Amino acid sequence: MKNAIEVQGLRKEFKSYSSRSGLKGAFRDLFSRNYKVLHAVNDISFSVKQGEMVGYIGENGAGKSTTIKMLTGILTPSAGEVMVNGMNPHKEREAFVQTIGVVFGQRSQLWWDIAVQESFRLLKKVYKVSDEEYDRHMGHVIQTLDIGPLLDKPVRKLSLGQRMRCELAAALIHNPPLLFLDEPTIGLDVLVKLKIRDFLKEINEKYNTTILLTTHDLTDIEALCDRVVMLDEGNIIYDGALQSLKETWGEGKEVQFQFMENVEITDLEKLTRDLPVKWELEEKEQRFIAYTTDEADAVSNLIGTVISSFQIKDVKIMEVSTEEIIRKIYEKGEV
Amino acid sequence: MFYIRMLGQYMGQYLKTRLQYRSDLVVELVSDLLFQAVNLIFIIVVFGHTDFLNGWSRDEIIFIYGFFLVPFALFSSFFNIWDFNERYIVKGELDRILTRPIHSLFQIVLERMELESLFGAITGFVVMGYAGARLGLTINWYDPILFCVFVIGGALVYAGVFILIACISFWADARTSIMPMMYNIGNYGRYPVDIYNTVIRFVLTWILPFAFVGVYPAAFFLRREEWYIYSFLTPVIGVVFFTISVFVWNEGVKRYRGAGN
Repeated sequence: MKNAIEVQGLRKEFKSYSSRSGLKGAFRDLFSRNYKVLHAVNDISFSVKQGEMVGYIGENGAGKSTTIKMLTGILTPSAGEVMVNGMNPHKEREAFVQTIGVVFGQRSQLWWDIAVQESFRLLKKVYKVSDEEYDRHMGHVIQTLDIGPLLDKPVRKLSLGQRMRCELAAALIHNPPLLFLDEPTIGLDVLVKLKIRDFLKEINEKYNTTILLTTHDLTDIEALCDRVVMLDEGNIIYDGALQSLKETWGEGKEVQFQFMENVEITDLEKLTRDLPVKWELEEKEQRFIAYTTDEADAVSNLIGTVISSFQIKDVKIMEVSTEEIIRKIYEKGEV
Repeated sequence: MFYIRMLGQYMGQYLKTRLQYRSDLVVELVSDLLFQAVNLIFIIVVFGHTDFLNGWSRDEIIFIYGFFLVPFALFSSFFNIWDFNERYIVKGELDRILTRPIHSLFQIVLERMELESLFGAITGFVVMGYAGARLGLTINWYDPILFCVFVIGGALVYAGVFILIACISFWADARTSIMPMMYNIGNYGRYPVDIYNTVIRFVLTWILPFAFVGVYPAAFFLRREEWYIYSFLTPVIGVVFFTISVFVWNEGVKRYRGAGN
């Protein structure tokens, strides 16, 4: 099958100038400026198959939004090939955007002071959607997202969660085969998040819609995406299944202890010096954290040894969370 | 065809929104009319003191002023791009525009139209009627047609210049104060250009051709034959400037850098 997104050596450079300090510097800036070329996105390549749900993650400023903007035809790439839905986004912009839906979590697509259904009606005309198509498709969308009662309210009177659901519906008016979501769940409560996730899964199954999602909320990615693309300083540092990321990085177990008595971390280290353990102390709650290996008896040996010497208030055995993994990866800077 | 339909759709929506806020609408209507009335009084007071200006009679100058108001009203109803930099570039609203299948400039025209500015045209007609009656101007069968052509030409001149200025935002980050300055310069087009020195005249004709919004086309209806060439150049200059500006706009959009989140 043809790929929905095909990116080859994509790069975006921003030229920015750094100003010199002081009044003298400002005068010198007038005549010669120090230009600095920033590589927001640095020769990245990847492809996304039709019907895939891909999580696109990275820290702030890693180049996520810049990539999305190039994929949606908003920005012109400095170099490289982009093919989305078989088209070159910025060259054939008007024909191209007909085949995509975009939701920017921090920016509204809807008209601020007209009723939601008026916005929908206008967008329906903009995207040249016929009445039958609209009724068939949007009836279902409106029902699933539960926005029927909101349709006659102006957008400015909606809560963030209500608005986000309407935004999502608005992005789907022309039933695009490809959907870009830039932080769609930012600032939303759990219930709305769940509803949006379920909805995205449903349209993905029903229409085989490709979804590219950026988010800071990794639970979104865990719930929706089989594949993640991870970005750091404009480079892709990981592209693959979320599961295998967990397997390679989620090594080791974490055991947290709280003691009845006062314990020094050196005592613990001395006590467990024969075991593969590393101790850390979280000072605020006097919680001692032991990092150990995955081996079958490592955890039981550790707990056994500690219990035999100290009075224990609480023990917790943790698995390393996705967030922890991501944090580790970023600290190391590579996969 | 699609674009005309969309214009209709947006206009309908605009009126609907306006009608929703009834009290707002009334206040605006009244204030608009008041504004126009003040404008009218201003014109009469200012021109009451001049009889002749470099061969132009008082009524002729008033007529030019009245004519100017019509293309200007058309321009300000549809090309509200004076805050383009803040609204679309700095706030990044252009992102949204660029994800929709309509030409970006046309979308901004649709979004930002302010149809109540068309009231200015009424003032223009009243002023022209007053001055025309005093001058004893006659109306030929072809005058209304040429009038429309000249008005559209003049509005296109205005639009072209202001689009070009808005395009600066694509290349330069800093805010510029060129917009308000340009509004001032635009006002010079409402007075006979031969009262200015040759440099200013040249600028107002070929570089910032605001003279084509007021004095040149109006001269035709005043039957000032020495200006006829310029009068008939009005639509040409309008189309040329507008085309250039759209071309520059398209180039600028490619350079759009987006706003950070």
